[in-house]
Amino acid sequence: MKFEDRKYVILSIFVLIGVLYSFKLFYMQVVDDTWKLRAQQIAEKRREINPPRAVIFDRNGNKVVSNKTYYNLMMVEKNIDHLDTLGFAKLIGWTVQEVKDRFVAIIHGEGKYYNRHSGKTTSNYQTIRAYPFIKELTAEEMSRIAPHLENFKGFYEEVSSMRDYPYANGANILGYLSEVTQLEIDNDNFYKPGGRIGRSGIERYYESQFRGEKGIRYIVTSAMNNTVGAFEDGKYDTIAKQAPPIHLGLDVLLQAYGEKLLLNKKGCIVAIEPSTGEILTMASSPNYDPNLLVGNRKIRKNYPALLNNEDKPLFPRPLASEYMPGSTFKLIQSLIGMQEGVITKNSGFPCNHSIVGCHNHPSAQNISQAVQMSCNPYYYAVVRRIIEQGKKSSSFEDAEIGLNIWAKYMHSFGLGKRLETDITGLRSGVIPDSKYYDKWYGHHRWKFSTIRSISIGQGEVQLTPLQLANIAVIMANRGWYYMPHFVKSIGDNGPLNRFHVKHKTMVDPIHFSPVIEGMRSVVHELGGTARRARIDGVIVCGKTGTVENYIGKVKQPNHSVFIAFAPMNNPKISISVFIERAGGGGGDWAAPIASLMIEKYLNGEVKSIEKEKRILEAILPTSK
Amino acid sequence: MRQNQSLTGSIDWPLVSVYVLLLIMGLSTVYSVAYNPEHPSLFDFSEKYGKQIMWIGLSLFLGVCVFLIDSDIYRKFALPIYLFVIALLVIVLFMPAVNGAKAWLGIGSMGIQPAEFAKIGTAIILARYLSSVNLKQQNAQTVLVANAIILIPMALILLQPDAGTFVVFTSFLFVLYREGVSYDPVILSILKLIPIRALHFKQTWIGSHFIPILFVVIFLSITTLLISNETIILSLFPGKEIPGYWGMIFFLALFCLAAYLFMRFIFSKRDRKRALSIAIIGFVLASILTSIVNYTFQKLAGHQKERIELVLGLREDPDGDDYNRNRAMAAVGSGGMFGKGYQNAIVSSVQTNHVPESETDFIFCPYAEEWGFMGTFVLVGLYIFMILRIVFIAERQKSSFNRIYAYAVAMILFYHFTINIGMSIEFAPVIGIPLPFFSYGGSSMMSFSIMMFILLKLDSQRKDVLN
Repeated sequence: MKFEDRKYVILSIFVLIGVLYSFKLFYMQVVDDTWKLRAQQIAEKRREINPPRAVIFDRNGNKVVSNKTYYNLMMVEKNIDHLDTLGFAKLIGWTVQEVKDRFVAIIHGEGKYYNRHSGKTTSNYQTIRAYPFIKELTAEEMSRIAPHLENFKGFYEEVSSMRDYPYANGANILGYLSEVTQLEIDNDNFYKPGGRIGRSGIERYYESQFRGEKGIRYIVTSAMNNTVGAFEDGKYDTIAKQAPPIHLGLDVLLQAYGEKLLLNKKGCIVAIEPSTGEILTMASSPNYDPNLLVGNRKIRKNYPALLNNEDKPLFPRPLASEYMPGSTFKLIQSLIGMQEGVITKNSGFPCNHSIVGCHNHPSAQNISQAVQMSCNPYYYAVVRRIIEQGKKSSSFEDAEIGLNIWAKYMHSFGLGKRLETDITGLRSGVIPDSKYYDKWYGHHRWKFSTIRSISIGQGEVQLTPLQLANIAVIMANRGWYYMPHFVKSIGDNGPLNRFHVKHKTMVDPIHFSPVIEGMRSVVHELGGTARRARIDGVIVCGKTGTVENYIGKVKQPNHSVFIAFAPMNNPKISISVFIERAGGGGGDWAAPIASLMIEKYLNGEVKSIEKEKRILEAILPTSK
Repeated sequence: MRQNQSLTGSIDWPLVSVYVLLLIMGLSTVYSVAYNPEHPSLFDFSEKYGKQIMWIGLSLFLGVCVFLIDSDIYRKFALPIYLFVIALLVIVLFMPAVNGAKAWLGIGSMGIQPAEFAKIGTAIILARYLSSVNLKQQNAQTVLVANAIILIPMALILLQPDAGTFVVFTSFLFVLYREGVSYDPVILSILKLIPIRALHFKQTWIGSHFIPILFVVIFLSITTLLISNETIILSLFPGKEIPGYWGMIFFLALFCLAAYLFMRFIFSKRDRKRALSIAIIGFVLASILTSIVNYTFQKLAGHQKERIELVLGLREDPDGDDYNRNRAMAAVGSGGMFGKGYQNAIVSSVQTNHVPESETDFIFCPYAEEWGFMGTFVLVGLYIFMILRIVFIAERQKSSFNRIYAYAVAMILFYHFTINIGMSIEFAPVIGIPLPFFSYGGSSMMSFSIMMFILLKLDSQRKDVLN
């Protein structure tokens, strides 16, 4: 056969291809890793799973904040097949036009992001990707929709978890969550678009303790970007860990009671356990239900209304309102006077109405009586002695030295500086010192008579209600305080270390007894300013304040203030109550409210029905 | 009577063994890919594996029928068979298109692809024609008729259109080459048109080796285009790079050296000098060709260059035009040495659907992903063994009809194997053709099996036939 040799050509080609293919396959499958990486890129996805946030309990084990399951109705455009728009609209309770608008909004709005490199806003919307059609449906809403979803291809339900507040109280303490901003995503890789972060209150302060540990699942995804299953049966997966529960010092029932008492009033109540510094109650009025700000849907609906409400329900008054303390300030003035040695517990000063107005009462013969009767001229005299100690011949220079000594004492009571508690949004109040007045009047251009209003807690002095309550704590403890705080324990750990540090005032404990005796008389002796604060069987020590209030030169109704602790020996609760523009004195409104709170806390129930009824029915300020 | 000898004794068992092995491996891969946990039974006829078993059973039944029919019938009825498949190819053009191609001839819900069976018909008539007693390989008529036999079904298949099967039909050209059909008459008549006396030969070397030369030219041109823009990094000499074109020349030299050594090994002593000159001339001609292609390509205008680059897949576009190949290569490459294990394919599983057609045209992907290089090496080995075995069978035939038919079968299987696997390893363009005996599908399973059984039948009766 002439052409038989040609079989070798053909055989060589066969063998050559076989060898070539074997080499190429060996290279691709064994030597080169490129395609293995590509396969991972194509078919494996790393999914992060956010655990539910930590649950919050109050001091008695009541669940204050928990998590509730919500559902997102997801859609994948590519899977939608001949949508029965009318039927679908009916199912979700929308109009056809709303459904159409939502589609347009998703297709043109979702997936939009700001590209930092190009400086343009671009969209990575993809028809094969899932986007939420309706976010945050409740279980009831979803149970109506879910059974019919099989008729609407391309739609499915997805579970998500959101905050739930079984008690509608303490909104300003607990704070709320909202979607993370791009900046937060850039700064912390824990956060992904659409995730939530604590935006205010302790949710914000303890964000890292609340969020827990993310779980990571490696999954196999299909060309349609759907999950097909776990990668290697979940060998490399880690489980999402919920953060341990957080216990608050808060007594949620007391908080609820406080908020109830404050209904139809403007003001706040702060109650602290003096022996620990744990905040029992921090009520602010007007208030809002924390359930109003759960999830984007509700935030978008309710937040603007809350923000624009002229009563400022979002504003945490106990932390951020700065009020003149009025006569409650006299407690500290007494203590400073004694510690400085300018007076003794038995010093008496005449009630000289020519210096400053006062109510009709006999002149105070000692500190206790001065406190009990809240004598204004008495405290002018005391503070004058503190400020003008005669260390310099010039009354201007003397006042400068005296005021700065005074201010230092005030700082040791936690005043004029921020109380570093475990919440954000605090203000520091104002304790004026020499620099402060130099700015106003000029260096050595002021003396005691210029600034004498500070003696009775008026003028430039400003305190937050939390600071007021802390004064009550210091009185109860006879000279020291723990920094007030909300969180009692995180899992098995106690509060933050800095809440174990005892802060001592510059006043020796010995000087507290006469002042506390005065405080007892305020409530329990005839001629005391807070007789309404009496409780059967409990010795309450308190001090009223009636803060004069001007807008411009126009006199407004007085603020009613009261601080107290009880019982007198071994105190369990310290409290401050501030009622704005109440009209009456501290004894009229703030004192009875404080006593109701004390009674509720100490006895678990309120027997002073008449007192309670009077408060609940009151609408303050009246002239509005 | 020819029936007096043992039927089983004359069957080529090695070929049958490979055939059965490939059927089993293919079926197990289809079962793995198309596995439906709700219908786990292999014999569930609502699933693809159940259907594949049905197709295999039907194929074996047809195989038995082929064995019962006298082998002479193919030679006798070559023309009617050919005309029948041509008629089917015409009829199918009037059928409704499925997936954009009029390739299916529907019988109820089942359908067959006439193009698959056209290969058998063409192989038979080609064998019949080229085995004619008074055939002259150098005649113009021979080359024209032989090419016409191939081109008619090709044209009809192109009308469907079915690029894959169209390309497969060029495999018959190698059969013409093996049988010595010379393209000289065509080339000479073209040369006569040129009024230069020096170009008027009696015969040309190119004409008699036209087909392999044509394929080498095409192969070299494409390879040159692929490589000319690259730079080759020499891993042995870090930091050293050479332009792709010089790398190409280097590989050509290496290849020619290897070819020379190979030819020395198989050629007789007398022909060894010829081997050297073949190697040298081959190298020089190939180098000139690559230079011309490279030069022309570099001189092309931007948009022309771009278009060629796009066709060749030089422009990376993993989610666009080259999506299928990219996914297929990821599947094959991620298999590693030992694979991910049976039923553990990820990229090429039907559930993920990253690799399209992973139970038909791209079935090599799940197989490669699950069995790794150990599996693919065995598979390549089995196919090469099968094809070589068929060539061995072809060469032992006394009848040239049998030999030519066997060569046609070998070439068709070789094409299917090369292109199908080449698709997934960047060695062949992505044109959908099944992997013989392996891919899911009734038409291909039946046509390849019939083709194989006819060959076995012819071989079993080789001693009875004279011409």
